Amino acid sequence: MFFHIVLERNMQLHPRFFGRNLRENLVSKLMKDVEGTCSGRHGFVVAITGIESVGKGLIRDGTAFVTFPVKYQCVVFRPFKGEILEAVVTLVNKMGFFAEAGPVQIFVSKHLIPDDMEFQAGDMPNYTTSDGSVKIQKECEVRLKIIGTRVDATEIFCVGTIKDDFLGVINDPAAAA
Amino acid sequence: MSVASDSSPVHSSSSDDLAAFLETELDSDSDSDSSSESFPIEAAEVAVVDVSSNHRLKRQKLEHPEDETENVASVTFSEEISEASSSKSPCEHPGTFGNMCFVCGQKVEVTGVSFGYIHKGFKLQQDEVTRLRDIDMKALQSQRKLCLVLDLDHTLLNTTVLRDLRPEEEYLKSHTHSLQDVSGGDIFMLEFMHMMTKLRPFVHSFLKEASKMFVLYIYTMGDRPYARQMAKLLDPKGEYFGERIISRDDGTVKHQKSLDVVLGQEKAVLILDDTENAWPGHRDNLIVIERYHFFASSCKQFDHRFQSLSQLKSDESEPEGVLSAVLKVLKQTHSLFFQDGGEDLSSRDVRSLLKQVRKEILEGCKVVFSRVFPTKTQAEDHPLWRVAEGLGATCATEVDASVTHVVAMDVGTEKVRWAIREKKFVVHRGWIDAANYLWKKQPEEKFGLEQLKKQGADDLTVEK
Repeated sequence: MFFHIVLERNMQLHPRFFGRNLRENLVSKLMKDVEGTCSGRHGFVVAITGIESVGKGLIRDGTAFVTFPVKYQCVVFRPFKGEILEAVVTLVNKMGFFAEAGPVQIFVSKHLIPDDMEFQAGDMPNYTTSDGSVKIQKECEVRLKIIGTRVDATEIFCVGTIKDDFLGVINDPAAAA
Repeated sequence: MSVASDSSPVHSSSSDDLAAFLETELDSDSDSDSSSESFPIEAAEVAVVDVSSNHRLKRQKLEHPEDETENVASVTFSEEISEASSSKSPCEHPGTFGNMCFVCGQKVEVTGVSFGYIHKGFKLQQDEVTRLRDIDMKALQSQRKLCLVLDLDHTLLNTTVLRDLRPEEEYLKSHTHSLQDVSGGDIFMLEFMHMMTKLRPFVHSFLKEASKMFVLYIYTMGDRPYARQMAKLLDPKGEYFGERIISRDDGTVKHQKSLDVVLGQEKAVLILDDTENAWPGHRDNLIVIERYHFFASSCKQFDHRFQSLSQLKSDESEPEGVLSAVLKVLKQTHSLFFQDGGEDLSSRDVRSLLKQVRKEILEGCKVVFSRVFPTKTQAEDHPLWRVAEGLGATCATEVDASVTHVVAMDVGTEKVRWAIREKKFVVHRGWIDAANYLWKKQPEEKFGLEQLKKQGADDLTVEK
C-alpha cells in the first residue's frame, strides 16, 4: 500500500555546498540519498514530495561537516500481510511463480495455487487449468494476497497466495484476443 | 469471501452494552484466523442497536438482511468454512522465501537447501526437495528424458583472461564473433569481463541433440555472472538451460559440486565434467571428459608442456572430437534406460547402465601389466587396474595363452618379449586412458612402445 508520510533525517553537508544554494544542495542530496531506498519500518521510499522544515545545522566536532535535521514528506510503498496486490509474473517454475509489484518480489508457492491448475513445462512454462481457460505465465498480471512480508536492507520479500476467491489472473497480454 | 464472524447471540437488554460487546468481539476477530461460526443474530437484537457512528455496527446491520433470507444457507456455508480451516494440518514449512515459510507466511528457522539460482532467498526443506524430485521423475519419464549436468570450463568451452594471452595468440582477436548475434560463433571477446572464450567444436550440435534426450543443467565453479554470460553464449534463446544455471555461489560445500541442488533424482542424472575430484559423492554418475585446452593459459594452469590448440593454430575435429564421442555414449545410455518403453522405469538406474556401457569398451580383452605398477603395491588396487576392469577388460598378473594385451612402459621386460613372440599386442598405458576418455577401443598401433620412445617417457599425451 502507498502512504504519504513525514520522515526525518539528519543530513550531513560538506562546507563546499554552503552559500547561496545551501538549501537546494541539501534538498538534492536528500533526494539522492533517500529516493529508492528501503527501510524496515516504512518500506520503499518512492519519491519525496516536499520539504517540511530544515532545522538548525550543527557543526560536528573534529570535522567541518554540518548536520541538518530535515523533515520531509514522501510517498512510501509498504506491503502488509493480508493486503491484496496486483503484480506482474516474472518467473514460473514447478515450485510456484515469482511476481513483482514495483520494487517488491513476491513468491506464490504451488501449495497456494488452486489445485486445478497444473504446471506445464516448455519454453514458456505456465500454470493452466484443466480446461485451459486460465493460464498463468510470464508477463501475466495477477491479483494476489500477501501472507507474509520480510524486509531486508535493500529489498522486501513477500509470500503470497492466489488460492482465495477473486484472486488469480487479471489480464494476460500474451493470450490471443 | 469473508464471513463476518461473531459470537453467539447476546441477550443483552442494553444497547450500549451490546454495542461495546460487538466492538470488542469484532476487534479481536479481525486478526485471528480461527474458524468462524455462523452468526444467527436475531433481527430483534440488531434492531435494538443504536445506529451510532460506529461503522462496524453499520456493517453488521447491512449484512444482516442478507443473512435473514439465507440463514439456512449461511449456516451450512460457514460450517463448511469452519471445517475447512480446522482440518488444515499444522504447516510443514516446506520451504522459505526470505525467512518466511511460503505456505503459511510465518517466520521460520532457516534450514534446508538454498536454491539461489532459482531466485535469491529461496530455500527448500529436504522433504520438499524429495517430493519435487519424485514429481520431476514422473514428468521426465512421460517425456522420455533424463537429466544431464554440464560443466563449463574445459568441458564445453575454454576461457582465458585477456591479460594471459600470449603474443602468438593475438591473431585470435581479429577472429572474434560479434556478441549481438551469437549463433554460429565460436570465439567471443568479452571486454567487460576482460575475458575471451572459445566454445568447443561440436558444442552447438551437442546441446541441440542432448536437449532432446536430457533436461540440461549448467554447474560451474565460476561465479554467477560468469555462468549467466556463458549460458547466453551457448544458449542465446534460453531454450536449453532456462533457469537451471548453478554457479559456485549456489553450491552447498565450497570447492565441491553435489547433486543436492539439482532437482532430479540421482538415479536419473548424468554428469559431464573434466574434473573427477569435483564430484566426490557422485562418481558413478560422472562421465569424465578430456580437458579442452584451447588457450595457452589453460595449458599453463595444468602444468602441461605441450602447446595449446591456439598456438598450434588448430582445433579439435568436429565429427570425431570428444563431444561427439560423448554424445554417442549419452545416446546409448538413454536408449538403454528407456528400452522396452513403458514398463517399470522406477527400477532403472542410470548409474548401473553407464557402467554397463563402459564395460563394453574393452570387452574380450585380457590385460597383463608389466612394470607399470610399483612392485611394493598390490596390483589389483592400482587405479589403472581398476580403470581397465571398469572398461570391461579382464586383468591378470601373469601371462598365459588367453592374454590379448600387455601394457608396459619399457621394451626390455620378459612379459613384453613373450608378447612379441606370441604375437600379442604391446601397448603403453595411454591405450587404456584413451579408451577411458574416448569411450571406444583405440587401434593398438597408435600406442605402441616405439611411439613412447619418440615422445619421451614423461610426455604421455593422449593421441586423438
